[in-house]
Amino acid sequence: MGRVILEARDIWYRYPRGMEAIRGISFHIWRGEKVAVVGPNGAGKSTLLLMFNGMVKPDRGIILFDNEPIRYDRAALRELRRKVGFVMQNPDRQIISPTVFQDVAFGPVNLGYSGEEVRKAVERALAQVGLQGFERRPPHQLSGGEKKRVAIAGVLAMDPDVLILDEPTTGLDPSGSEDVMELLDELHHQKKTVIISTHDIELAYPWADRAILLTKGKILQEDVPDIAFGDPELVRMARLSMPILLELYIELKKRGFSLPERKPKTVLDMLNVIDRAFQNRLCYTQPGRITVLDVDAPCPVSLSEWRSRHPGVPVGAMGTRAKQRAEEERITPDFTYGVIDKCILRALLGEDSLIVTTASMAGRVRERVQEFSREFNLEIEVVTARGLPDDR
Amino acid sequence: MYEEILEDIAHNSALRETNTAVKLATGTGAILLCLLSPGFLAPLFVAVTLVLALVFLARVDIHTLLHVYTAPALFALFSILAIVLVSGGGECFWRWQPFPWFALSLSRDGINQGTLVLARFAGGTTALAFIALTTPMTDLFAVMKRARIPDEVTDLAMIIYRTIFVIMAHVVQVYRAQVMRLGYSTFRESVRSFATLCGAVFIASWEAGEDLVRAMEARCYDGKFAVLGRDRPPAPLSVAAVTLFFLTTGALAVTTAEITLL
Repeated sequence: MGRVILEARDIWYRYPRGMEAIRGISFHIWRGEKVAVVGPNGAGKSTLLLMFNGMVKPDRGIILFDNEPIRYDRAALRELRRKVGFVMQNPDRQIISPTVFQDVAFGPVNLGYSGEEVRKAVERALAQVGLQGFERRPPHQLSGGEKKRVAIAGVLAMDPDVLILDEPTTGLDPSGSEDVMELLDELHHQKKTVIISTHDIELAYPWADRAILLTKGKILQEDVPDIAFGDPELVRMARLSMPILLELYIELKKRGFSLPERKPKTVLDMLNVIDRAFQNRLCYTQPGRITVLDVDAPCPVSLSEWRSRHPGVPVGAMGTRAKQRAEEERITPDFTYGVIDKCILRALLGEDSLIVTTASMAGRVRERVQEFSREFNLEIEVVTARGLPDDR
Repeated sequence: MYEEILEDIAHNSALRETNTAVKLATGTGAILLCLLSPGFLAPLFVAVTLVLALVFLARVDIHTLLHVYTAPALFALFSILAIVLVSGGGECFWRWQPFPWFALSLSRDGINQGTLVLARFAGGTTALAFIALTTPMTDLFAVMKRARIPDEVTDLAMIIYRTIFVIMAHVVQVYRAQVMRLGYSTFRESVRSFATLCGAVFIASWEAGEDLVRAMEARCYDGKFAVLGRDRPPAPLSVAAVTLFFLTTGALAVTTAEITLL
């Protein structure tokens, strides 16, 4: 982890109508970290996050960005807001222009970019969120998930270092929520610091590097998610519920089963816990093979051609460009979220699978599979998809 | 939400990518020709040509087009009926005088005048429908900008356009919630519910306005708003087609000026 990018030192804030929203909060956020601020409604999450880009000024205490206290003059706030992008809970309240292009261009235009720079920034931001071709669409014609992506693109167009999202999955269907969380993973992979506020503990638990449990304007707990959410008393005090996988793990542990130390975050982790608890083997067959299809390769393999040569093999699309590629080739991916784990699960059943992804994410697939293979003493083969019929 | 339907049709029109100025010139030019033509054949020609253009070039569904015509056609029908029955002159075919100071009649001049108004209505409405169903509001903002309308007006128009849909969605939600709880079951209840609806929408608009300011501040607002996408240059074929359309209509207006229905 790099250096501290955001820091709060004993901040206090009282709403104009008198209610105390933030009561003496101190914490820091590292550059490149994924942090979830979790708490019930009215805990002060949104107010706290709005302080990070100077939208709300604390009554007492200081906020530091890049180890410098935030200044509240107009020029300093502009610079801060360029570096710390904020995505509101309701995208309808954030999207202010009549077309997608105009809305995404809003930030760059106000930052004084030239026409060509604005066009490039908009193209880049729309590509990042997978909305190329939506430039002339009016926002009211978009779905909830697409509006959320436009709102994120509007912030990404200013190329911020930190991305703050207030309740990013509110109002989205499960598939839309998964897409947004996958997008946040991608942005994190591009070295952005990502902070979200949520009361959806199931969402925050597997995603975050660190969780901050907030209630009544105070921090209850601040730690890695399995510790932050692992104390039933604290979780109850925060009016939340424990993540189901973590609760299951704790219940198995209470019953005296011998379990791995690492607490489960995904179904794959849980499967490992159960196998260990009942002293089963994780895999009873020759593990299947995971093929990686790189959409950035100079001579990319046709997905539909690969699929026709390997009928019945499930396909996972990882990342925005991979999903677009699948859509272009009219193939519906079997997995679009938690793709690597789902393909490992298939491999443990002796089945092959294909992961469509970008060059940068392909390395992550290999790392994750190798790490898993080492931990459980298995041999799961990862190969690159080729256009020749010999890649099985 | 009828406005949304019209806007959506324009966005999905096959003529969406045609240069906005060409489409606007076609519509406004056609309206002017309809008004200037002394005979009824030129406006009728405009109506037929533009309906064909809407159906075959813009690929607008014929049922939708008929739906668009319904309200203005009803209005026009009553107006034309009044013109035909009240205005007199020439040979009289039928006359009824219910009061000494008021008479209804069917005369040659009255019918000819009614035909001309009907043709102008058909031509003018079709020309207006041509603009509305092929050119979304978002494209008109660019034209406003090029026409040197002050930035403040264009920016405000854009914000209003965007906000209309946000507030409309809120109105629909509140209205449905009221209907579901029998808010419009009696006249008295309807008045009360409508007042509540207005109040709720006013508060929502106020909050939306505050959020708008926050959203603009959070994205480094510095007084600039209107960045507009690029319009396609006018295609020579479309310019030639529009010129031919104008020349034919103009020629028809001059040569058929004396022709009347009766």
